[in-house]
Amino acid sequence: MIDASLTPAVEEAALPRRRGRRFGGVATASLLWLVFVALTCALGPFAIHANPNATDVAAAFAPPSARHWLGTDDLGRDELLRVLVGGRVTIAVGAVAATVAMIIGSVYGAFCGYYGGWIDALLMRAVDVFMSVPTLFLLLFLAAMFHGNIVTLMLVIGVTSWLGPARLVRGDILSLKERPYVEAARSMGATDARIIFRHLVPNAFGTIATTTTFMVAGAMLAETALSYLGIGVRAPTPSWGNLLSGAQSYIFARAYWLILPPGLAILLTVTALNFVGDAVRERSNDAVGST
Amino acid sequence: MLAIPTLVGVTILTFALLHIAPGGPALALAGDRATPAQLQHITHQLGLDRPWPQQYGAWLWELSHGNLGFSYSRQATVVSLIEERLPQTTLLMGSALLISVLLAVPLGVWQAYRRNSTLDRIASVVVFLAWSMPTFWFGTILIAIFAVQLRWLPVGGLQTIDTAGFDWPSRIAHLILPTTTLAIVSLAGWSRYIRGSMAEQLGEDYARTARAKGLGMRAVLFHHVLRNALIPFITLLGATVPALFGGAVITEQIFAYPGMGQLFWQSAVDRDYATLLGMTVITGVLVVLGNLLADILYAVVDPRVRYD
Repeated sequence: MIDASLTPAVEEAALPRRRGRRFGGVATASLLWLVFVALTCALGPFAIHANPNATDVAAAFAPPSARHWLGTDDLGRDELLRVLVGGRVTIAVGAVAATVAMIIGSVYGAFCGYYGGWIDALLMRAVDVFMSVPTLFLLLFLAAMFHGNIVTLMLVIGVTSWLGPARLVRGDILSLKERPYVEAARSMGATDARIIFRHLVPNAFGTIATTTTFMVAGAMLAETALSYLGIGVRAPTPSWGNLLSGAQSYIFARAYWLILPPGLAILLTVTALNFVGDAVRERSNDAVGST
Repeated sequence: MLAIPTLVGVTILTFALLHIAPGGPALALAGDRATPAQLQHITHQLGLDRPWPQQYGAWLWELSHGNLGFSYSRQATVVSLIEERLPQTTLLMGSALLISVLLAVPLGVWQAYRRNSTLDRIASVVVFLAWSMPTFWFGTILIAIFAVQLRWLPVGGLQTIDTAGFDWPSRIAHLILPTTTLAIVSLAGWSRYIRGSMAEQLGEDYARTARAKGLGMRAVLFHHVLRNALIPFITLLGATVPALFGGAVITEQIFAYPGMGQLFWQSAVDRDYATLLGMTVITGVLVVLGNLLADILYAVVDPRVRYD
């Protein structure tokens, strides 16, 4: 066991570090983009100083101009303002849903990994069951059942995306619980709950942090997909997904300013999150390899 | 055999979903506009006044006899609805699967061979972009370019409406854009996976030995390394099937393609729970069987693997 893990480590030690440097530029650019998006979505609407839901049908489908930088939509609303406010909504849904998924997944995974045995076998089988049903089916099902406000949407996305995190955290805890400090804590009379939440889960933080980044990306895509399908964020509240729900009719109106900006905003932000997550994972692999 | 408890689990999950529906299962199955007589009929048929384990047994009994319930909003049995839609979706998913494997494998091999070159880095960024692309947006862009601007391909549908019977050229033309849309997501993940596992295998002793014997890089890549890299890929193929069903919901919606995904979406909008549940069970069973098939194939391809 020890031999097998040592031999390749020597050869590949240089490899991930080079990779880490290679993705450095892209990861930094991604981080800068995320900061830029967060700031413009948070502050931009104040600068534009208008009601994002105020309609002006006379000015509908106006192409980009000095007055409306990204033109206007089918009801004459300022597209730039709606993209910025929509960004707030989509990012909030992504962040909250990912947090919900991570909390459920981490607790579930830590519990399975720590206790092992038949409890673990039974609970992980339940994860297999959930994984056999397409996530989007479950999402549509729950969204149809509990259709309502944005909070419901966040919860629905959260409770359908904890399976991946649960598996990953479980894997981490399985190896972490064999470490000497766990035995030390137990010898001092620490309860199971204390060992799990004060010792094991903080040590699995690397996995949890990386997975959270990917989860936010995934939850944002889920929001856009549900909103596109008309079961996500409801009009008139804008979101990056429902700004595109009329995209097909905009094609025939040749209103590309209504299709490209929200689409590119989703694409670039989700890509940036995935790049940052990938870079963090590479770095934490490096750290594990060098110790 | 782990497939059997998973199958049982899928039926329990579906049964539980039915019971968390607001207004109770009878109302959920009959729809919002059900008459009291219909409600009575369903309550009696499913024995909803009996304890849960008995209800589950009765429901499972109906299920094993091919009775998935009746869609009141569509006035048809759920089985007949699925029978009508499943072939279309199988065709769509099958061609998407085929295209993404045919593209992902060479791309991954090439990237592993040219690892860390400028072209590999560019390809990695493109693959990440494809991976992060909202499916519906990609489909919309494809329609904008190939259907509206260039007018090369139809906007959507199954085949041209005025053609009678089954028309192959029209069917294929209607399949190109949806297939591409559905293929793009799995393509990204798979090529990345192949690249990683090829790179790992290239570092193994046997690959170096083959090179040292004087074999060309092409022979080593395709005859030695690719075979080993593809073995775990079989399992990944099985695991991607649920995501393909999910992708089909959106793809079929964009292209007005009458398959399972579109039916599921319409049923969700109509709150037609009988159809939703029937499709969930059938899809779950198909996915479990797909994974089982992948596991068996894995053992056939790799003689080292033995299942108890």
